[in-house]
Parts: sequence; structure tokens; C-alpha cells
Amino acid sequence: MAAGARTLLSARGVARRYGRHVALAPIDLDIGAGELVAVIGPNGAGKSTLVAILAEALEATEGSVELADPRPVVGWVPQRPAQYGRLSPRENLELFARLEGVEDAPGAATRLLELVALPDDGRPASELSLGNQQRLNLGIALLDDPDLLILDEPTAALDPRQRRRLWEVATATRDRGGAVVFVTQNLEELERLADRVVVLRAGELVFEGTRAAYESTPEAHVFA
Amino acid sequence: MRLLLAKDLRIFGRSPGIVAALVLYPLIVAVIVGLVVRYAGDRPRIALVDEDGLPAVLDVGGQSFDVQLIFDRAAEDVELVRLTREEAERRLASGDVLGIVEIPEGFERDLRGMVRQPEVKLRTTESAIATRVVEKVQALVYVVNLQLQRAYIEANLQYVNLLKDGGSGSFLGDDFDVIGLAEAARRLDRLAQNPDPEVQAEAKDLANFVRQARLALESTDDSLRATANPIQLEREESGGRALILSADVQAYALALTLGFIGLIVAAAGIAGERDENVFGRLTRGLVRLWELVGEKIAFVAVVGGIIGLLLAVVFGLVVELGNAAGGEPWGRLPLVLVGVVLGAAAFGALGVLIGALAREARAATLVAFLVALPIVLLGLVPSSVVPAAGGISQALPFAHTANLLSAALADADPAVTVLREIGWLLGLGAVFAVLARVAVRRLGE
Repeated sequence: MAAGARTLLSARGVARRYGRHVALAPIDLDIGAGELVAVIGPNGAGKSTLVAILAEALEATEGSVELADPRPVVGWVPQRPAQYGRLSPRENLELFARLEGVEDAPGAATRLLELVALPDDGRPASELSLGNQQRLNLGIALLDDPDLLILDEPTAALDPRQRRRLWEVATATRDRGGAVVFVTQNLEELERLADRVVVLRAGELVFEGTRAAYESTPEAHVFA
Repeated sequence: MRLLLAKDLRIFGRSPGIVAALVLYPLIVAVIVGLVVRYAGDRPRIALVDEDGLPAVLDVGGQSFDVQLIFDRAAEDVELVRLTREEAERRLASGDVLGIVEIPEGFERDLRGMVRQPEVKLRTTESAIATRVVEKVQALVYVVNLQLQRAYIEANLQYVNLLKDGGSGSFLGDDFDVIGLAEAARRLDRLAQNPDPEVQAEAKDLANFVRQARLALESTDDSLRATANPIQLEREESGGRALILSADVQAYALALTLGFIGLIVAAAGIAGERDENVFGRLTRGLVRLWELVGEKIAFVAVVGGIIGLLLAVVFGLVVELGNAAGGEPWGRLPLVLVGVVLGAAAFGALGVLIGALAREARAATLVAFLVALPIVLLGLVPSSVVPAAGGISQALPFAHTANLLSAALADADPAVTVLREIGWLLGLGAVFAVLARVAVRRLGE
């Protein structure tokens, strides 16, 4: 995190255990305004667990996550689309907009449908392609103009054009003083976008630093 | 909560197949249960093996018995089929008959002799309804005994009359003549005219005794009948609802429907939030866990209330069209609505608990289905028959829902029962809701 930057989110000793299995060992992590933080690591490293805890979608068994005051709006894009399959994209967007307290829910839904280029033909979300479901997943996360965007492998099912669109939204969030935390297996995205890199292995934090530091630390590459 | 409720109702409305299945399935089960209950009240088929070759008419104690008529009267309770021993054995083994009543050789002789008690032998399988077969055959023997008893009383009274009035009779094949108490009294009166005072005194004493004996024997008729049959049961048939229309059957059918709907919809609904991966999105500040549990219970209460009320209206129409007396189907609808909503809510709370524990919608649906049937069956077992089943049933919503609906439909003064069962359903619903709130946290893991 850059010196002097406002801390949007602060995780202290967050950990997650399932019985005896440690999915995530205690980790401290701060997310500051104006940065794109990449979380990388091999499969089963605890990346999704970490970002779900940061997004407060999963309860940590230890530690705590604190948000800045005033509380930033956090948008979360889970790895697997989180939406109602029997509702259309518009109905999903309107429902979550209302739940988030967005004043003009129909207007917000129309705006997001255009932003993520989703068809508005009333088809249920379960009938959409995986790529379009992922777009809807992203659209729901962007409903309330988040200050902090947490993305779990968001580009996996997107076509190149939508991928570009996503990163435009992400960098715009960072540039207006927000922050983005994203999980990726794509090293090209990491090298092109990340300001900071967090490397996990077997639930342990094994590297955390700037992208430059990551690139100059050969041991870190072994873990990715 | 209102937004999620509207969402669930919208999704539910888009699944007509599921709605139809949830309504039809319990109704089909209710019909099957009704048929089983009807069969349980039906006449069991029992083989009659007559090894003694009973005649068509049997003379006992000077009275004639139409043997076939006795069996026909008994056929109100059991279906007697005359078979040979071999055929009866074969059919008992195959289950075609549920028991064998055997009249052994010498039965008629013992019956006529009135010295040795004649025996009828009964054999049953170890089936679940063997007890009922025994009860039915005991009833048959009771009926025959009653008729024989009357014949014996008549025969005994003939001897009493012979003692009173004199005449000729026979006992165990020996003929005899009796002068009778009346003639004895007359002769003693004549003897009392004897000049010997000692003879006179003895004759008077004996004449007094004879008169007292006659007086005592005069009331023998009524006494014998009264002591032989101390309590007489008079049966009157009165008009009323047929079984299929009875308030109890309506209440059970409604409770059964609510049980299946409540458990399955609630379990699948809460687990579905996890399956759609939405649980985490909702619980990260958009909805509290209490609200989510409450919303699912409210959803089931609304769905159960609508379906239950529609069913109650259909039942009311059937009652109305059948012109059946003994119910107020329309005036009690508000009370029935209270019953179906509360019953559905209590089942819904249990369903949310099941769904939260099962976690996946498919598993939750299966578990809810598997749980629903024993809950319903436990509620159908009378606590007087199996106290343990009654005790367990008290801790589950089915019996309370059925009691509430039955009282709402048919009790002249339902207030006490309805209030008591409302209390039970609210209490059970609250307990299951608290447990569901604890269990639902696991869905986020």
C-alpha cells in the first residue's frame, strides 16, 4: 500500500478453519485507496477464501475485517455467479439494487445491462451462457458504484472484449480513489495491472509486496 | 424481507409443475391413507373348517338354531368362507384368508350335552392385523354365545316351570315325572286336615316352605335373564357425514398437505439460496440471518395458506354438494385459515432447519420428503395405542395442525382446542426457527 494512502479495508489475523483443516492461516492485509491488488497462488491456496472474507461474504473463524469510516461501498464478484437462475438479468439487477438501497433500481438495472452488454429479453439467467452469467455477476457487484471492488477470477469466462471492459471499470475505480482486489491465474493480467501482489500457498501468506518487488523475487514466482 | 418474499413467490409462480406436484402428491397420499383406513374397517376374510359337519338346523336345549343364519349374522363383522382343511391351510399361507376357525369333531355333541364346554379353534398368521382378526372372531363367538345363552336360559326355565307346575321331562337322556310345587302345596293342604296335630303342624310347615319356594321361582325368569346379560347394549344408527367427508379426514388431509409443502418448500428454499451461490451475497450486509429465516417461514405460510384455503374450499364444496350434515364449512373458513397459516409456518420453520442442515437443495428436498412421511404417520397413531408415538408427535407440528383444523371445522365450541393448538404451533415454530437460525450460518461455509 502506498505511503499516505487512505486505508479502505484492514484485515487483522483473519483465518478460516473447517474442523482441523486450515483453509487460511492468520493473515494481516491492508487495502489502500488507489491500488489494484492481485491475489495469486496455486489451486487450493486459499485465495477465494481470503477474498470472500475480505468481502464479508464468509465469516472468518479468527481475526477481523474492518472498513474505513466513512464506510466504503464494497462490490463483490465471486468466482461462481451468484444470482437467481429463474429471474431474468433485469429482475436480478433490480432485486439486488433494491436490497442495496439504490434509489432508482430500474434505472440502475438499465445502466448496468448496458455497461455489461447483457440482453434484456426476459430470459431467465440460468439460460444465459456462462460468459453472460459472469457479466451479470459483475453487473450486480457494480450496482452501487463500489469504492472497493473484490473480484475472484472475474475474467475466466469472459471474451476478450468483455475482459477489456472489465479492466477499464477496474482501473476507473482505482483512478477515482477506490481500490480493486482481484484473484487471478493469468500472469499477463498480473504484470499489466497489479500495483501490489499477494501470494498464497496452502493457506499461508508467502509474499506480499509491490509488483516490482514481486518481479525481483524469484522465489515468489515459484509459488504462483 | 418483503423483497425476498416477493422474489420467492415470483419464482414459485414460475414453477407450475412443482406447484402441481406439491398439491397433488399429498392429496394422493391422503387418498391412499383413507383407503387404508377404510380397509382397516373392512371385514377380514376368515376360513370356516367344519370338521363336525354341523347340520343346517341345530337343536339345543329344546330350541332350534338355524346355523347358516347365525353365520350370516356374524358376517357383519367377518367374511366367513367354508373351506376344507387343506384348502384353508393353503389360503392362510397365501394370505387369501387371515385366519381359520375350526369346528372340531364332537362340537355338536358337547353343545347338546351341556356338560362339557364345546371349543372352537382359531388360527391366525403373525401378521400385523392378527389382533384385529382375533377381535373379530371373539365378536363372532360372543354373538353365537349370546344366542346359545338365550336357548340355555329358555331350557333352564322349562325345568323351573316343571318344578313349579309339574309334568314330564328328560335330562341327559333320562325321562322323569315331577308333581310340581303347585300340586305339592295342594297335597300338603290336604295333609294339614289330618287329625294328628303333629302331622298337621309338619304339613303346615312344609306347605309354607312350598309356597315360599313357588314365590321365589316365580321371579326366576327375569333374574336369570338379568344375571346372564347384566348390561344390554342398544345400538342406534344416526345420520351424519360419511367417512370421506368427516371433519377429521378433512383436517388430516389439510395437515398432510401442509406438512409436505411446508417441509419441502422451506428446506429447498433455504438450501436453494446456497445452491445459487447467493447466500454469501445476501448475508454480506443486505439481509440478516434472522430475516432470511423469517422470510422463508413467511413464504411457506403464504404458499401453505393459499393452497390450504383452496383445499378447504374444495372440501366445503364437496360437503355442500354431498348435502352432508354436521359441519359449517363456510362460517369456519377464517378459523381454518388461521390453522393452515400457522400449521404451514410451523412446518416451514422445521423445513428451514432441515434445509440448513442438509445444505444442498436436492439433499434438502430428499431429507424433507423422508422426514415428512414419518411425521405424518406418527401423528396418525393414536396416543392411546402407542404412547411413545403420541409423545413424539406432540413435539412436531402435524398432530397440532390436524387437531386445530378438526376443531375449527367441526367442534361446537372450538375456542379452547384452537387456542391450545395455536399456542403449541407458535411454540414449536419458535423453537424450530431458533434452531434454524443457528444452523443457517453453516450455509455460508
